[in-house]
Amino acid sequence: SCIIEERSFVRCEDLVYGRMSFKGFNPEIEKLMVQMNSKCKEEEIEVDDKMEADVSDEEMARRYETLVGTIGKKFLRKRDQRVLKDDNEDDEVDEDRNSNIIPRKKAKKMFLKPQD
Amino acid sequence: MAAGLGRAAEACVGQVVLPGDLLLLPAHYDEDGEGERLRLSAGAAPVGRLLCGPGLRRSGAGLLVTKCGLLRHRPAGPGAYWVDSQQKRYVPVKGDHVIGIVTAKAGDVFKLDVGGSEPASLSYLAFEGATKRNRPNVQVGDLIYGQFLVANKDMEPEMVCIDSSGKSSGMGIIGQDGFLFKVSLGLIRKLLAPKCEIIQELSQLYPFELVLGMNGRIWVKAKTVQQTLIIVNILEASEYMTAEQRRQALAKLSGN
Repeated sequence: SCIIEERSFVRCEDLVYGRMSFKGFNPEIEKLMVQMNSKCKEEEIEVDDKMEADVSDEEMARRYETLVGTIGKKFLRKRDQRVLKDDNEDDEVDEDRNSNIIPRKKAKKMFLKPQD
Repeated sequence: MAAGLGRAAEACVGQVVLPGDLLLLPAHYDEDGEGERLRLSAGAAPVGRLLCGPGLRRSGAGLLVTKCGLLRHRPAGPGAYWVDSQQKRYVPVKGDHVIGIVTAKAGDVFKLDVGGSEPASLSYLAFEGATKRNRPNVQVGDLIYGQFLVANKDMEPEMVCIDSSGKSSGMGIIGQDGFLFKVSLGLIRKLLAPKCEIIQELSQLYPFELVLGMNGRIWVKAKTVQQTLIIVNILEASEYMTAEQRRQALAKLSGN
């Protein structure tokens, strides 16, 4: 049980917010009016604004999955890189994930008999 | 020293009280230590707080009246008592939203005239999204809607244009055009009451924008100068018009 001294009328009389707009003169203020006055009535329920994402969560997860592998290969030592590439070149034609045919940059190194 | 015998606070609600009157509160709000100890040991639930509003001051057994006016009471929420008095001169109060006019720029601080005894100060960093490099574009003579951060009789009042979470929520520089005028503080409180008929009736007339400062200043902006002046005249006159006269005036206007 205690008595609090309050010097403002706003708390005593539950006055509304002082900035107002009517009939769509200033749409931002009208939005603010709704927000402020519902805050007063419902005792400050916090509005959680979720930022609209440009990229959805699913797509983000998919990209990350493939990205980790790609960036990881960058840091392999040269010997490991060649091993990886040779494994892939066992087939006649190279295809990446989208089934596009990769043109071979180098001819496969084989032993060439020296010509006299 | 001894004031006259106090009257019960509930009996005086709605009546005129004068400075020096002592209002007694019901026993359960009493701050007597012994009484509290007894109650706690008996396991009684503690009673809620009481707000002692403007015009009243705590004194021993009850509330001491410091302004003349009508005593008002609000039973719900935290219960509150306050004195409803007429006043034209504004005294800065912490947390109040007011309209200020920029009178000077002194380095990093703006001086605003809010109608009180001293100009209030407003730092340029107290706007939303303001940094040392990104300064707000405030000129002398601009109107600012902000709230008091510090306002007591010992210090110069300070204003800010952001709330505690850093958002501006409608505060800041008030735009171009429009009309600023002054009314008494009682009318502002009437207009800001939750379901104000004056505002509701006016909102049916034309689209317009309105900013009400607790220091008695109102800023209005409508599409044409004539509409703005009509709204200004109605707001000024509504202090002394009865509801019936106001409705007649508005009916004439919407007829025109």
